[in-house]
Amino acid sequence: MAERFLAALLALALAPLAAFAQTNYEIQVYGADTVPPQTLMVELHSNFTVQGQQQTIDGQYPTYHQEHETVELTEGLNDWSEVGFYIFTSEQDGHGVQWVGDHIRPRIRVPDSWGWPVGVSLSTEIGFQRSAYSSDTWTWEIRPIIDKSIGRWYFALNPALERTLHGPDVSQGWGFAPAAKVGYDFTRVVSAGFEWYADYGAIGNISPIHTQQQQLFLVTDLNVSPVWEINIGIGIGATAATDHLIVKAILGRRFDWGRHSPVD
Amino acid sequence: MISRRDLLKLSALVGAAPSLSALAGELPAPDHRIEIAPLTIDLSPHHRLKTTAYNGQVPGPLLRLQANQPVTIEVTNHTDRPEVVHWHGLFTPPEADGAVEEGTAPIAAGATARYTFTPRPAGFRWYHTHTMAMNDFTRAQYSGQHGFLKIESHDDPAAYDQEVFLALHDWGGHLLANQDGAMNPDYAVATINGRVMGYGEPLRVKQGQQVLLHILNSSPTEVHWIAFAGHQMRVVALDGNAVPTPRTVPMLRLAPAERISALVEMNNPGVWVLGEVRKHVQALGMAMVIEYQNAGGAARWDQPSDLQWNYQQFAGAPQPATPQTGAQLLSAQLPAGQPAGLSAEPPIIVPLTFESKFHGHGAMETWTINGQSYPNARVAPLIRGRRYRLQFINRSLDDHPLHLHRHSFELRSLGGALDATAGVAPPDIRGIVKDVVLVDAQTRAEVEFTADNPGSTLFHCHQQNHMDLGFMMLFQYG
Repeated sequence: MAERFLAALLALALAPLAAFAQTNYEIQVYGADTVPPQTLMVELHSNFTVQGQQQTIDGQYPTYHQEHETVELTEGLNDWSEVGFYIFTSEQDGHGVQWVGDHIRPRIRVPDSWGWPVGVSLSTEIGFQRSAYSSDTWTWEIRPIIDKSIGRWYFALNPALERTLHGPDVSQGWGFAPAAKVGYDFTRVVSAGFEWYADYGAIGNISPIHTQQQQLFLVTDLNVSPVWEINIGIGIGATAATDHLIVKAILGRRFDWGRHSPVD
Repeated sequence: MISRRDLLKLSALVGAAPSLSALAGELPAPDHRIEIAPLTIDLSPHHRLKTTAYNGQVPGPLLRLQANQPVTIEVTNHTDRPEVVHWHGLFTPPEADGAVEEGTAPIAAGATARYTFTPRPAGFRWYHTHTMAMNDFTRAQYSGQHGFLKIESHDDPAAYDQEVFLALHDWGGHLLANQDGAMNPDYAVATINGRVMGYGEPLRVKQGQQVLLHILNSSPTEVHWIAFAGHQMRVVALDGNAVPTPRTVPMLRLAPAERISALVEMNNPGVWVLGEVRKHVQALGMAMVIEYQNAGGAARWDQPSDLQWNYQQFAGAPQPATPQTGAQLLSAQLPAGQPAGLSAEPPIIVPLTFESKFHGHGAMETWTINGQSYPNARVAPLIRGRRYRLQFINRSLDDHPLHLHRHSFELRSLGGALDATAGVAPPDIRGIVKDVVLVDAQTRAEVEFTADNPGSTLFHCHQQNHMDLGFMMLFQYG
């Protein structure tokens, strides 16, 4: 009896984590820029949960020592829009390498020619993840993106809204899952800063703090070349509902496949 | 309003040779007047902006001055900040050149001043503000303060039926990150003579005419490529100076502050477009319609597939290997009316290394010449009468349009390796005389000039944000 009660309590505490578990497949604060047209951005997101949930809850595998490899392919459509596609995978002792799900993410932004003082874009992401990894199998995210570089400082805010389309949380409506980043350019190549990821649960019914997700990452961005993107970080979870220690890395490469004329 | 006494005082400060009669109280009427004032300009039906301009127009009035005939130009500053007018490409004294750094007095807000000088050399020059903009992309060269100067003589580089002056300009600047990780201005509108394509009257021509185009790039920061659909252009002068070898070319490249004079034979009746070769810039408006008499229909544009340009094609014949002094060369090759050098000694080599300093992905870079950033830079002394060879060593990732005030220089080499001992030495260039040269990123170039116009002499990158952020230095000789 006590064991069932504790399991139920744990399930309740980790509900937001389960609902939006795809967060740990792509840990990234978006900047407002989009990929240029006739360019394919290939990114590999590698996230390892050093300390996480160790229980199987409602048929979901524990996150502890899960290695998530996510391939993100983003194609620029024009100079103000792109579409991204994700392939989520997970590797874990006892489960091997598993396909987790796929998402598609169209995005538009305010064109440079508008001359806005901040970068603004809007992304929407919809996709499926297997129930073994997320009890909510179909989810939808709308992510406004605002960013600004001021001298050596970089600021980005992603006040994302998420909702479940299929799964136990479908009745919860929209949830609020903001993320933000502050970076500082130490050199032309090396930047470092903090990224913050949160999930407050349903709008209008904000979760108690211990059931919210709150993660803070110390990150570095290495601007070694215009065609490469490198982001490395280590993050801690500050609440019971958050994986407590995650290491992440993003390695991206732009492939220019179009015939670019000097007169374009 | 400024008093007559103030005006006299400014005239004494600004004018190179204010007349005694003027100082005594009676000022003769100036030869030309320029009023600097705010202006709301319609670049197109959809682009209205507030700027500052000369005599209420963009570009400012074409001033035709007679070479070697003293002239007085009265300038009134109706803005709320000091201004100064630079006579670009002329051999003026520093007091009248229009650069405060050299000693020209600024014209205070509301004040009137007179510039008195003897215009030389002959050719296509221009005048413009020489103030700082920093992060305000509506001021200085970002504004409409530019106009054409034609210094007339009997030695025009080509015969023509119609002379047309065109100014290329970019407007509505805002900062945008570029690929090398720094911020640079990017623009919303690009115009020819202050109008986008299709707004304003077309240029009307007749079949069989020889039209001499005088094209100025007055853009604060941008290089432009210009083609004339259905026609070829015969380049006869660069920066107003006749080239040794005129060439017919499919397009022109103009760095900021450069001028090209090109002759076009109107031999293809119709309605055509003259405009920026690059599609994304032409889409911002930088084009105009050329309409033959009795022709109709839509204007035609033939899109080039490549960018083609080099300075070297206009150079003179190779010279003998025997070392010659720059003075001898210049006196042999300059058009009449330009000063010959005074030296019989080989040129003194002055290496100038250009580098940038990174200040974050959200800031513009600052610039150094030989490690020093203006105004915290040493003044470089020169010897009057000596020939100098400036070695431009551009270690930065940007191309730079380099301008020497109050002198012309002769191009001697372009596109060399940064390490002069590496690779094949670039070919020697002779006979191309300019006052602005575009030096490509990560290359070395050389120019020669004779120190024959004493006084403070400003040298700088003509890209406004570069000169604002340190890319300047002074030469000085008496």
